[in-house]
Amino acid sequence: MEIVMREEGAATILNLKGRLDLASGSGLKDEVKALLSKERTLLHLNLGEVDFINSSGLGVLVSIMKEVRLHKGRLTLSNLATYVEEIFEITQLSHIFEIYKTEAEALDSYESVKAE
Amino acid sequence: MTHYEFTYPSVLNSECSMLRDLVGVLDEHSVTGFPKHSILVVISEAFTNALLHGNRLDPNKKIKIVIEINKSEMIADIIDEGQGGLRKIRKRPPSHQWAEGGRGIGIIGHYASSVDFAQTERGGLRVTIKFARRDKREYKKA
Repeated sequence: MEIVMREEGAATILNLKGRLDLASGSGLKDEVKALLSKERTLLHLNLGEVDFINSSGLGVLVSIMKEVRLHKGRLTLSNLATYVEEIFEITQLSHIFEIYKTEAEALDSYESVKAE
Repeated sequence: MTHYEFTYPSVLNSECSMLRDLVGVLDEHSVTGFPKHSILVVISEAFTNALLHGNRLDPNKKIKIVIEINKSEMIADIIDEGQGGLRKIRKRPPSHQWAEGGRGIGIIGHYASSVDFAQTERGGLRVTIKFARRDKREYKKA
């Protein structure tokens, strides 16, 4: 899995590309842990180029979500392909993740929270 | 039915090789879109179970995949060399919301037409999964 990171204000955006599964998930976990240790706790994962996810990949995302919450941060997801979105629905994980259609919508939500 | 057999050592990277082989089979039989994705997800779930819970990542133990495919259906057997796999499957608790694992069997059940678990003579687990070649969504449209 390829991970491209960039910062947008207080938020860090991770663009993920490829498969999110057992083998590739540990790399993503390590990247997130490194960000949290640097107090970058507002994280957005753009899954637009994730073409495959299975329950191991979902487990990685749940683990990341738990870590982010421990650090009192926030995790958002966006750009889920139809296949990926369906897996979130089947497993009911769509109820626990903050999922946006687009990255822009997710970033707007960070702005609106800040403005409130 | 066209028949394929693949065997992999129980190491993490084998999932990648298995998916590559499976994509090759599906492409050869023009399986595309949702059916292709569903098959890839389901077989990867069964494969991960065999790797972690069956063979416990023991590189000396193998995972065998047998595929039979024709125009109307595909049948896949995923066979590990573990011990007491069937008992483990039956005892596995349901996944709770914040669990990091335990969702694989539910995903298999959602996409497969049928799934059967059997113990092999050596004590490993054989998971037999059937898929209809036509996607459920296409039936709804027709």
